[in-house]
Amino acid sequence: MDETDPASGDTIDARLLADIAAGVEQAFVDLYRRRHNDVFRFAFAMAKSRSFAQDVTQEVFLNVLENARRFDSRKGSVRAWLFGCARYVTLDRLRLERRWTDDMPADLTTLDSDESLLADQRVERLHAAIARLPVEYREALVLFELQELSYAETAMVLDCPVGTVRSRLHRGRALLAAMLDEGEQGAPGAEPSLAASLQAREVCS
Amino acid sequence: MSNAPYDASPRLQAELAQLRAALRGVEAPPIEEAALRAQFRDCKQAEIAPVGRAGGSRRLPLAAAAAVVLAVGGALTVVALRGERPVPVPVAAEAPEAAPEAVGAFQPLLSSPGLSASASYSVVRVRIPLSAFAAVPGTTQDGTIEADLLVGEDGLARAIRFNEADALRVSVADQ
Repeated sequence: MDETDPASGDTIDARLLADIAAGVEQAFVDLYRRRHNDVFRFAFAMAKSRSFAQDVTQEVFLNVLENARRFDSRKGSVRAWLFGCARYVTLDRLRLERRWTDDMPADLTTLDSDESLLADQRVERLHAAIARLPVEYREALVLFELQELSYAETAMVLDCPVGTVRSRLHRGRALLAAMLDEGEQGAPGAEPSLAASLQAREVCS
Repeated sequence: MSNAPYDASPRLQAELAQLRAALRGVEAPPIEEAALRAQFRDCKQAEIAPVGRAGGSRRLPLAAAAAVVLAVGGALTVVALRGERPVPVPVAAEAPEAAPEAVGAFQPLLSSPGLSASASYSVVRVRIPLSAFAAVPGTTQDGTIEADLLVGEDGLARAIRFNEADALRVSVADQ
């Protein structure tokens, strides 16, 4: 079976998931090897924190163990299903971290400021701006633009119509552009301010 | 890269493509296969364990406690109104499980379908607050009384034996 072909990759994933549900230990190891980086990158893109992404990855695969038999291949690929799990875990953790903050923008608290995994400064700045987007725009952009899911797959993960995905992507891009524009007008390399974020949000709505 | 405003989509798209490529290079920490396998086994064991508990030790005392709340008041009322101990009912399983301090015999509960010498029963020891017997005249004092419940295989309590029956009778008679 050609694993570079997405369709055959989905078939392999689905078979592994069925084996996990049947209690095959090796299938769990194999699926983890194949997909843990996808989950890790999604969480890292959402929160810009390696430790956060690591925790999310562990929790997602624990959910896989508990819920493998609930997967329905008619509703989408295993990869999209895993992103759906990762999304719930990520949102839960972001909400939890929000509870322990006062006046800081919630998502900033998830950032590891000294982490510079992405060398290029512009890319780093873009990632920082994405991590500060309102979560409904952020998750759509991360899934569609960065994880390269289709509109339909993104809609499935977000549990909303395709039209809503398109709308969120449009607004998210506009908001991102406004944040980056303001950041560029300030100090070099400065992250866009919360004021810019809110102002841009008003422009979008 | 150009410095065109970000509202021009191509610039944003180009930088998103760069970020996408950079993210592909982000790797999760190395896999610890032994830890993964341990996680798998733990989870499978946890799936099995609750099934065992549900059919066994946890359900039995809960059913017994529920049964005693409904039935013990009626049984005590009978004891108090008669002023004497009921006639003991012989039970095959009673003898080996009788505690040394037991002073009463098992009394069938009012709603019980009865006892059978061929059936097997479990004895569950409970402590019942005297305040639970408010329906029985003269049992308003504080404290608890120890009792054994004879519980059938279906989880229903069939009979009760008060280990401190004399104390209870005294406390009722004193009122």
